[in-house]
Amino acid sequence: MSSRVGALFVYFRTVTQSRRHFFDFLFKFLLAIVILIVISPFFLVLIQVASIGFQQVFGSGPGQGLEFFTTFPGVGLAGGVRNAFVGTVELVVLAGGVGIPLSVFGAVYITEYTQAGWTRAIVEFTSDVLAGIPSIVFGAFGFAFLVDFLHLGMGIIAGSLTLAFMMIPTVLRTTQEALRAVPMSLREASLALGATKWSTTWNVTLRAAFPGLITGVLLAIGRVMGETAPLIFTAGNNLSVPTSLTGSGSWVASMPYTIWAYISDPREYLQAKAHGTALALMIMVLTIDVVANLVSRKVTRRLV
Amino acid sequence: MSNFKHHIEVHNLSTWFGKKAILKDISCYFEDNTVTAIMGPSGCGKSTLLRTLNRLNDLVPNFRREGEVVFRGENIYDMGYSVYDLRKHIGMVFQRPNPFPMSIRENITYGPKLHGVKDEDELEKIVETSLKKAALWDEVQDDLDKPAPNLSGGQQQRLCIARALSINPPVLLADEPVSALDPISAAKIEELIVELKKDYTIILVTHNVQQAFRVSDQAAFLYLGELVEFEKTKRIIEAPADERTEAFITGRIG
Repeated sequence: MSSRVGALFVYFRTVTQSRRHFFDFLFKFLLAIVILIVISPFFLVLIQVASIGFQQVFGSGPGQGLEFFTTFPGVGLAGGVRNAFVGTVELVVLAGGVGIPLSVFGAVYITEYTQAGWTRAIVEFTSDVLAGIPSIVFGAFGFAFLVDFLHLGMGIIAGSLTLAFMMIPTVLRTTQEALRAVPMSLREASLALGATKWSTTWNVTLRAAFPGLITGVLLAIGRVMGETAPLIFTAGNNLSVPTSLTGSGSWVASMPYTIWAYISDPREYLQAKAHGTALALMIMVLTIDVVANLVSRKVTRRLV
Repeated sequence: MSNFKHHIEVHNLSTWFGKKAILKDISCYFEDNTVTAIMGPSGCGKSTLLRTLNRLNDLVPNFRREGEVVFRGENIYDMGYSVYDLRKHIGMVFQRPNPFPMSIRENITYGPKLHGVKDEDELEKIVETSLKKAALWDEVQDDLDKPAPNLSGGQQQRLCIARALSINPPVLLADEPVSALDPISAAKIEELIVELKKDYTIILVTHNVQQAFRVSDQAAFLYLGELVEFEKTKRIIEAPADERTEAFITGRIG
């Protein structure tokens, strides 16, 4: 112990022996504080959400633990958020089913089939702008265009299409980057064997770009999973799961919407459920991020 | 038309990238079952000439060409000529090894599958014969399902040769195939090229005079896009007719 104090004392003398030493030490110290501030929100949020929500997700009372995911909202404490859990999964699967192919093939066309020029610049510019648009604007657009103008009505279709719109710019741009990183010589090798452009793109270029592509896709999924604003005006809400594709039967709950609805409710047990849902959502998004990381590293090691 | 079988002839070929003239009025021919070396200093158009033979330059924006490349009596730049069929008959090996990000086996079967070979036994046979021809079989026969990019540089390049041979093209183009490799792998591949000329017509781009001398039967010397000399390699190297050729061979330009 005393040797540690001694070491600290020596250190203190070293850093204070001159102005230059002291300022060097001071900046090191300040930068360390900055990084603490930078990472603290993550832990503060986690602690805040988990301190109330943990009991909901992992506890064993009524509507807690596994029941939290498997039962629909009930009276009082009973019931979980199965409607929100299933709704989010359905919304994300549908949004991905529409948004991922559109953006991947769009990126393939723009990167592989057009040359740098006006078309490409316009597509890249619009998707960059689109990626920066606040999500509430997507919600408003989804309501005005899909729900109202196209008469789709609120529900799972309008909700998932709005989420798909949100995914498109991110997935398009990451796919483009991944395709660009594939060396030209791989495409040439395939073409020189007599392969057509399409077969080269499908079998060689996309395959080589797969790690980057899958990372972009999973990150986009993780992002739209937590979006509330696009769903407020487009998906409606539901205490059960959607039973039809149109009309009020198609209304669908989602985890972010449920969090928002429960947290603004004065009843304390609903606020607890909101925290539980938030914790579950965070775990899901985190899992997807980790999987994205693992997949891209695994596949990269296998292929390149 | 002509009585040549796989003969490639080049008639008055000129090419441009944008406004920049790369090749200027080149005429030559490549005899069957020989190795023809295309030599010249960097930037003289060697690779462009090679890539014009299988129309790989078509991919480059602003590429323009005049003159003809005749393969088996047909101008490959004619309207309606199938570039995919052409490339099926003219294989290519590149400067840097570029195996596909797949297993060794898939690298070889890729070409045959494209051209309609579906039978598993036949594909298996193609894998074996191609790898044997490329002198790689002994090293990889137990690892056919391992990813090709894990091979060493020299092995990768031989895999690329095997891949080019998998569809059995009568003509093989090689664009400085050993310049990115260590001397031992380079020597192996040079030996391989000499071995392969029994069955294939090989056109080899190189800026290495010694290499051209070791492996080629005839040689073309390009300088600033012009075909300066086109003769038996021995003749060019022992008694260059043009002073630019002599300057290149003796190492004064390069």
